[in-house]
Amino acid sequence: MTSTTQQTSSISPKSHVVGVADLAVLKGPNAEIITHALGSCIGVTIYDPTTKVGGLLHFMLPDSKINDEKAANNPAMFADTGIPILFKMAYELGAKKENLIVCAAGGAEVLSDGGHFKIGSRNRTVLRKIFWKNNVLLSADDTGGNNSRTLHLSLADGTVTVRNRGNGAVLWPI
Amino acid sequence: MADLNDIINGLDSLPVLPSTSARLISMLGNHDVDMSEVADIVRIDESLSIAVLRYANSAAYGTPGREFNLRESIVRLGSQTLSKIVLQQQVGRVVSRSCKAFDMSREAMWRSAIGGAVAAENLAKRHCPDDRDLCFVGALLRDVGKLVLDLKFGEHYADSVAKYLTPETTFVDAERQAFGTDHAEVGAALCRHWELPERIALAVQFHHEPPVPGVGHDVLIDVVHAADLISLWSGLGLGQDGLRYELAPHVKTSLSMSRRTVEKEIAAMWSAVRSIEDTLGLSKGTDERSAA
Repeated sequence: MTSTTQQTSSISPKSHVVGVADLAVLKGPNAEIITHALGSCIGVTIYDPTTKVGGLLHFMLPDSKINDEKAANNPAMFADTGIPILFKMAYELGAKKENLIVCAAGGAEVLSDGGHFKIGSRNRTVLRKIFWKNNVLLSADDTGGNNSRTLHLSLADGTVTVRNRGNGAVLWPI
Repeated sequence: MADLNDIINGLDSLPVLPSTSARLISMLGNHDVDMSEVADIVRIDESLSIAVLRYANSAAYGTPGREFNLRESIVRLGSQTLSKIVLQQQVGRVVSRSCKAFDMSREAMWRSAIGGAVAAENLAKRHCPDDRDLCFVGALLRDVGKLVLDLKFGEHYADSVAKYLTPETTFVDAERQAFGTDHAEVGAALCRHWELPERIALAVQFHHEPPVPGVGHDVLIDVVHAADLISLWSGLGLGQDGLRYELAPHVKTSLSMSRRTVEKEIAAMWSAVRSIEDTLGLSKGTDERSAA
């Protein structure tokens, strides 16, 4: 359920809700993208302040190799297939890599799984690995812990906010 | 501290389980489902009939170029699938309510219930095939106690519990410290109030703390416990309690859970929920917004 849209003028910001295993890339300024229920999953926002192109990916799992068919049908489910598409869609709307402000939130863990699964931690590791390999710097992140988060990106000015157990905080600008 | 009976009996309006669902769950508990009785339940309920028609004519069950009527659909789907659709629809309606006590929208409550039920059914196919339907029902109902606590305490519930949370405390421990009970125990009391089979009530009661092998152990509870975690890992049903739960070590062993199998279960469960939403014509998983 990926989407790419060019927003034109409107008075109030148009909210686009990204579901789990989903992504959206929009061109602002009158738009905002939001995703809820980030637990072990990670939400990645990218924003180009020059073109006001921004996107949000909500991926569930680190590695698409567990199921090629699901990766083909729904690339936003996995970090290794979802992240490249997020960036590609932003470039198609005019964003430039050198301008991008990249933030992430989520990657929480259950209190104890005996150290066996660590879904959130593996999501965080793979995210950083992909960024490192592609020379992408993470501008800000709010990851780990045990809580559910909501992540919000404003395409007017690139402000990224995270709501964690009812408390909202600005993640970017720092 | 709140008394469990006070909570259940002191409310003017408890969640109501249709008598047809209660009867069907009892039949499943006895492994004795009467196909004609299930078909009757479907025929007298318009929304159930529509759901059955949609399933029978969906990509998964249908035949291209052929439209099945209700009678044909009932025969085509068979008693097991039909039972599942009835429970998914009727129990789905019971749990599909916003829950301010845990900051969950009705969509989030529904998706969490359905997702857990699908995951439990998948796990049961390998570990306890004879109890597949009970695992489905147990997972479907596992968090029904949250709705009772919402009716009793509303949005102040999670805030009161939060005062007892430390980095090591599970949410159910904090609930017990704050209120003397927890959503799992309250859910089990409601299942007993509905006169459901005791194994279902126990699966609901212990879905966060399944008994270790020995007295009280039941693989049904292990499956519902694992399904709950799979649902949490996938981001379904996350509320104020977040991921403040633990995987019981014995369940990892008894259900042969590896990193790879768990990730496959998470992906399969999410796809199945999407497919159910498609079949029933519901909006896809974009609305996990809070109940507040």
